[in-house]
Amino acid sequence: MKFNTKVKNILLVVFATLALSACATQKKAGIDGDVYTGKDTVEYLASGVPDRIFFATNKSSLTTAARETLRKQATYLRKNPKLNVTIEGHADERGTREYNLALGERRANAAKDYMMTYGVSGKRISVISYGKEKPVNTASTPLAWSQNRRSVTVKVK
Amino acid sequence: MTKGLIFSVSFHLIMILLTALTLPFMIREPIDLPPIVSVELIQISDKTNIPYAPKARKVIEKVKEEEKRVVSEQAPPAAKAKEKPDRIPLPNESKKEKKIIKKKQNPEEIKPEIRQSSEFEKKEIIDTNEIAALIDKAKEIEAKTEREEKKLTQSSVKNSFASGLSLSEEDALRAQIFGCWSIPLGLPFDEDLLVRIKLQLKKDGTILTSEILDHERMNKPGQKFYKILAESALRAVRICQPLKVPPTGYEKWKNIQLNFNPTEMLKG
Amino acid sequence: MQRIIVISLLILYFSTSISNALIKVDITRGNLDPLPIAVSPLHVDPSSTNHKDVKVKQLGEDISKIIENNFRSTGLFNPLKKDAFVQKPDIAHLKPRFEDWRLIKAQALVTGKLLIKDEKLKIEFRLWDLTASKEMVALAFTTTPSNWRRVAHIISDKIYERLTGEEGYFDTRIIYVAESGPKDKRKKQLAIMDQDGANTKYLTLGNELVLTPRFNPANQLVTYLSYFRNLPRVYLLDIETGIQEVVGNFPGMTFAPRFSPDGKKIIMSFAKDGNSDIYTMDLENRIVERITDHSAIDTSPSYSPDGKYICFNSDRSGLQQIYVMKSDGTNVKRITFGDGLYGTPVWSPRGDLIAFTKVRKGKFYIGVMRTDGTGERLLTENFYQEAPSWSPNGRVLVFYRETKSGSQGKGFTAKLWSIDITGYNERKIKTETDASDPSWSSTLSK
Repeated sequence: MKFNTKVKNILLVVFATLALSACATQKKAGIDGDVYTGKDTVEYLASGVPDRIFFATNKSSLTTAARETLRKQATYLRKNPKLNVTIEGHADERGTREYNLALGERRANAAKDYMMTYGVSGKRISVISYGKEKPVNTASTPLAWSQNRRSVTVKVK
Repeated sequence: MTKGLIFSVSFHLIMILLTALTLPFMIREPIDLPPIVSVELIQISDKTNIPYAPKARKVIEKVKEEEKRVVSEQAPPAAKAKEKPDRIPLPNESKKEKKIIKKKQNPEEIKPEIRQSSEFEKKEIIDTNEIAALIDKAKEIEAKTEREEKKLTQSSVKNSFASGLSLSEEDALRAQIFGCWSIPLGLPFDEDLLVRIKLQLKKDGTILTSEILDHERMNKPGQKFYKILAESALRAVRICQPLKVPPTGYEKWKNIQLNFNPTEMLKG
Repeated sequence: MQRIIVISLLILYFSTSISNALIKVDITRGNLDPLPIAVSPLHVDPSSTNHKDVKVKQLGEDISKIIENNFRSTGLFNPLKKDAFVQKPDIAHLKPRFEDWRLIKAQALVTGKLLIKDEKLKIEFRLWDLTASKEMVALAFTTTPSNWRRVAHIISDKIYERLTGEEGYFDTRIIYVAESGPKDKRKKQLAIMDQDGANTKYLTLGNELVLTPRFNPANQLVTYLSYFRNLPRVYLLDIETGIQEVVGNFPGMTFAPRFSPDGKKIIMSFAKDGNSDIYTMDLENRIVERITDHSAIDTSPSYSPDGKYICFNSDRSGLQQIYVMKSDGTNVKRITFGDGLYGTPVWSPRGDLIAFTKVRKGKFYIGVMRTDGTGERLLTENFYQEAPSWSPNGRVLVFYRETKSGSQGKGFTAKLWSIDITGYNERKIKTETDASDPSWSSTLSK
């Protein structure tokens, strides 16, 4: 009997710890931290070359996934030397308008700079910031905001 | 003896004069003397109207008809910046920049019949009204105002040794005035404003005279708020009258001073 | 001789004892109800003639309604219902029966008369203190009849000034961005209206994105951000002639423009290579000056009314905070240290306060603080609101508020709101369309 309760207690503690750690690492659907990792809004420049990368709130630093995407874009651009692109920087609706404009510009340039280090000429890339003016998901939810914190590479016709 | 009498009389006179001078309320006129208000005549020009707005609507309609060709209703930016991307405009380039910008903004790709909303002809803009004669301060009407009778507060000597109202009497009076006083809400809440009003009352609690003790402050520039507050306090006592005064002891309270201080209320 | 001394002492004694004996009562409380005021319809002179579409018979009533609306919107006055008015407008204007007006609990009364003759509108008004039975102000105006709304606002200003000690702000306009359409394809146009929402005029057609319009001190020019040809640049619009031009024609995005208090310069942000700094451009000689030089984002600059300082928004500390510097860019000082983000600082026209937007724990606040960052007061909390702009007397803020949208982006609205700097009297301002980015003009009649 005594032994049983001990086992019970130990089991309880183990489960509790497991449950807690599960909480800590559990990912919300398609969001890591607050960076979007899903594919819902993503379009493709070419097969296997996603057009956009996502950012954390108020950040313009590139995530590992973003770098990978940008390397693909850079490769694609090097293969198509006549193609020019515009990188559009965007922010979510949870910031003041003017600051968001600056933030969008900083995000777009972060993407541009990275591509330049992979051999794409800066002359082929222009940037524009839309701040919070052009959301891709118009809902007011954390998911929508994470999808809107993005920079999108658009081919110039 | 006569010498002494003359001496005494003249000294008394001097003393009385001095007291009168040092007791401001004895010689001062009641504050709420209505000034003669004249009506200022002010010309309002059409200057700031937006004369082209109706036209804008026409343009909108026009543009809708020919939407395909329209690039923009706005003037296009003057010549694209030809500078190298790295260059930041410097002060010494300003002349050059000015030229670029001053180039008139008539884009070839917009057909002439399509008007930019920004291109309204001067003719339609200029208003026929005389402008600027805004502050034509011709005096139109001289408002008549009656002078209130000047009444001196004659403090009698008998009045002297009164110690005041009892607490409950004071509370009753205070509560009454609380109800009558509309604190001007527009006052700055972070300034210390205190208005002292001295009243002379009749036996039934109605007001014989009212006087603002620091009333020279009222017409000083930069003391607008004080004036507003003082006026509100005067309104309060007038609305309240007859004041709730004790049935007895008239001599005690026939002269009474009220100190109005809204600071606590305004701080909320 | 002794007698003389005794007598004079006695006189002195009594003269002081009188004031000593005076009963003093401290009044520290009153009611904070708005001041009851009666606005009598203006008497229309029967010899008046109609002028174009101005219906003169209605005009007396209409003007008094505008005045009432203005008063009500301040939260400081309570305009009384007209059904209780006993005296006819013409007689009331000559000599009100004060007892009658006091009976309906009015403390102040506005009367007036008007006449339209020879294409001219003549309006006269008086403000009466009903408790003191005296006149407080009397003024007359002449103008073109089509200007009658402005006269109503000017009258409101004069009365407001007389009753509050502060400059009125009714004869003013608000420029803003009129919004329509779905959230991801918003059509945005510059629009201008009277402070009370009347006379809306659209200044651009909405073919391209326009943002953050701001008046110059003379209210004739507007600077704003336009995405014309997909080049976001600062523009200048003359609202009288309709002429537009680029002022921030830099090799990159220029944004967040605002006029200097003398109207001679535009201060704005210029973003290049991912870094936004603050620049000024002299409108006369087009000389550009760089004010900040920092790798962080510096934006939303706003001058102090004396032009000596600039407050702005920077994330140089890592997060968006408010800073103040001298107008030449030296002496940069951070003034906000509270938890949360701070944006859109705007210096009050009185010079004593800075209004701002604060973001904390997912909520947006409009607040004011002293120019050194102390004395922060948050006036209103909401899901999303920002961009305060001051009334010319520094008493009221206008800003815009967006509502949360549902999963499909439905239910999204953007509206203008105003609030008193005491935090009282929050009001929605009526606009024909959705609206954002308001900028309050200075008083037009100055």
